Amino acid sequence: MSHTFGAYAFAVGRKYGLAGATGLKTRLAYLGNYAGSILTYGLFVFVFSRIWTAVFESKAGATGFIAGYDRATAIWYFIVAEISVFGFGRFFWRLAEDVKSGQVSYLLGRPYSFVGFHFAESMGPALVDALIFLAEGYLLGTLLAGPPAHFEPGRAAALILSLLLAGSLQFFLQFAIAMTAFWIEENAAFFWIFQKFALIVGTLLPIEFLPARAQAAAACTPFPSLSYAPARIAVAAGIPEGLRLVSVQIAWLLGAILLCEAVYRLARKNLSVNGG
Amino acid sequence: MHKQSRIKAYARFLGASFSANFLAVIEYRANFLLQVFGMMLNNGAFALFWGVLLGRTGGIGGYDFTDVMIVWAITSSAFGLAHVVFGNIRNLGRIIMQGELDVYLLQPKDVFLNVLASKTIVSAWGDLAYGLVVVALLPRFDVQRLALFCVLTATGAVIFASTFAAAESLAFFLGNSQAISSALSEFLLSFSLYPETIFDKGMRWLFYTILPSGFIAFVPLAVYKSLDWRRVPVLIFVAVLYAGLSYAFFRAGLRRYESGNQMGARV
Amino acid sequence: MRIIEAKGLKKTFRTKVKPEGFLAGLKSLTNPQFRQVEAVKGVSFQVEEGEIVAFLGPNGAGKSTTIKMLTGILAPSSGSASVLGLDPQRDRTRLAMQIGAVFGQRSQLWFHLPPADSFRLLGAIYEIEPGALKRRQAELVERFGIGPYMDIPVRKLSLGERIRCEIAGALMHSPKVLFLDEPTIGLDVVAKREVRALLEEAARTDGATVFLTSHDIGDIEKVCKRALIIHHGEVVVDESMKDLKHRALARKYIGVKYAEPVRFELPGIVPTKTKLEGGASVESSAGAFTQASYVVDTRSHRLPELIRALAEQGEILDLTVEDEPLENIIASIFAARTGAEACDAARPVAEPAGGGA
Repeated sequence: MSHTFGAYAFAVGRKYGLAGATGLKTRLAYLGNYAGSILTYGLFVFVFSRIWTAVFESKAGATGFIAGYDRATAIWYFIVAEISVFGFGRFFWRLAEDVKSGQVSYLLGRPYSFVGFHFAESMGPALVDALIFLAEGYLLGTLLAGPPAHFEPGRAAALILSLLLAGSLQFFLQFAIAMTAFWIEENAAFFWIFQKFALIVGTLLPIEFLPARAQAAAACTPFPSLSYAPARIAVAAGIPEGLRLVSVQIAWLLGAILLCEAVYRLARKNLSVNGG
Repeated sequence: MHKQSRIKAYARFLGASFSANFLAVIEYRANFLLQVFGMMLNNGAFALFWGVLLGRTGGIGGYDFTDVMIVWAITSSAFGLAHVVFGNIRNLGRIIMQGELDVYLLQPKDVFLNVLASKTIVSAWGDLAYGLVVVALLPRFDVQRLALFCVLTATGAVIFASTFAAAESLAFFLGNSQAISSALSEFLLSFSLYPETIFDKGMRWLFYTILPSGFIAFVPLAVYKSLDWRRVPVLIFVAVLYAGLSYAFFRAGLRRYESGNQMGARV
Repeated sequence: MRIIEAKGLKKTFRTKVKPEGFLAGLKSLTNPQFRQVEAVKGVSFQVEEGEIVAFLGPNGAGKSTTIKMLTGILAPSSGSASVLGLDPQRDRTRLAMQIGAVFGQRSQLWFHLPPADSFRLLGAIYEIEPGALKRRQAELVERFGIGPYMDIPVRKLSLGERIRCEIAGALMHSPKVLFLDEPTIGLDVVAKREVRALLEEAARTDGATVFLTSHDIGDIEKVCKRALIIHHGEVVVDESMKDLKHRALARKYIGVKYAEPVRFELPGIVPTKTKLEGGASVESSAGAFTQASYVVDTRSHRLPELIRALAEQGEILDLTVEDEPLENIIASIFAARTGAEACDAARPVAEPAGGGA
């Protein structure tokens, strides 16, 4: 019994591992493409560090704190929040293309989970990206805002976990949107709307800065789990808050996975009826 | 007499180019509307960001919400106009590298204008529209402000186009200079969108030289707020200067192209 | 006036030597090595008004480089070119007004628009007065038979339809010289025929001088009256099509078919191929055949005597006598490894014995 399970687990692990590794290799082959996003990330971080500096030099920043953030914290927040966007924020395009181009029918015939396969293929390279931005962010942050306050190994571990959860959540949400291509071909608009909400709710600004009503509404959406959670854990959250953030992330992640599978089943039914 | 007919001929040529561009883009109506929507959505998100932040802080670096919106509007429309009329500015490097200038060299029109004007960027129409919509919604908007906005958009567009084209023209000399030209373009656009005063005085000289955000956005902000038409001729002069420099740089590169000895020459 | 005059056109490219290995790569950053590539070694020729010239050469011979020097795209390293009395480099814009080009895969038509819109833009580019443009467009549309396609986006047209629109566009401003690069590539047989006819007509009706580059022997044979062959950067052949084909007169390809199997041998000639088609009544005698093919060098074997000898062997059902295909001549020129060798391959053979056929 355990023998066959082990063999099965091994086979499955190998399948997805290979998919991830292939995606990774492809990414590394195009190292030149990195230069662009590394530059953009750095530029963004720099500009926002200047914005926060100006904010805390203005009247409102006289006390040194706004909404519980000081200058350094706000800058570090932004650095981590943008890692989610830069590292895990653009799965949609490749996924939508796969769906539209009919890769689907080709892949449907393959003996593994459609959703799972894409997850492995996308996450492999994305993890490398995120690591690079993490390193870059750390360097820039130290230069612009000084070394991160309360940086303990526990916090670092929690941050890694939170980023992985955030990245996975990004993937499944974007995949669900991408799969709408089964019904509506021009679905880029849906993704754009998703992207902008993700930007406003927790990336450009910590959620604490939003008006009270907006904060309450945001709490009912998955967006805080995308950027706010890891960023908050990185800069300010104590253990209870950290635990709460991570559990919310896990909850949304499970929900997103279920959503994806549901959409996928629906699409498959449609395909076999309509003939793709 | 001869000069006048040349100008007329070029006016007709640019008009025909623009109309061909527009028709090609409208051919895909749905995509056009989608792109316009996308750009407006994107810009709108940042407007929301500024609204929330400045609502909280009341203004930074001497800029209040209206100031930030004006800067964003001028930059957005100038950037949009540049890419609507001269849609090939970002492709110029690639066109040079792949030897695609030959087609334009065979035609009896100035290569620089011809290659730049032979494409339009669909999403740029959204940027152009966005700026107009924003200034129209801001207080104290009237016919004079509209006229001033159009002029400032035009000068900003010329400066944008000239700088981007010059960055791309590096391809004549450096071969695959895509990284550098992309970087320059990104920097220029980013710095033009955010208040000048948040940057060190040490940096600001950049904004009046190789990254002319100062001429695209910051000076025009002051001009627009105070309706100071006297400074408009200065901006026009600066725009013409940037255009001239960019043109000269391109011509120098073209001579190299024609000698066939540019980097990575396709024999 | 000489429409095109090339004198000692030379073009040498300086290319960086790509270093092999890491250390060499480092060294090349500070001390780059250059290699001279002589693409065109000294090309001279003249083209008169109204000529239709085939410009041939294997890939890498210097064809595109020469054309680029003639049209002002590339500056020659030395030598001079004069087209319509203008220096292509100095007077590029003025010259561009009077020449047209249909260049290989590069289209002048806008992909997403109907040809009508592209023609309007071309009218603006070439400063054709709107009334004249309308007339000229109507004339070309009728001649080229592209009326039904004028409002269909170019991307929806077939290759043949597109090429016709492309050539019409190139002729819109009534150029005096038309440069064409592979105009019939990818076209089917019917479309090729149409395009060739249109090119011939353009030369005739519009008085245009046509300079055609092609790898298609049919284009060359059927359209052009003169051949310029360039190889290894030099002109190796410059003569009329008639003369070029005359080189083939020395070699004849003879095919003969008999009613009954025959067996014979002609002195000094071995058939390249024989075939035996027959009923069971034929004894399988080795060496008998009903059909035979011969390649004959008429310098050593007189054609009339040869034919008489063949006729005496039996009842002839069919007899074919063909010239050396132009393709073979050109292929042997292309296959030469140096310019000198190419010239040799192209040198006309001595007059065939007895004056030939």
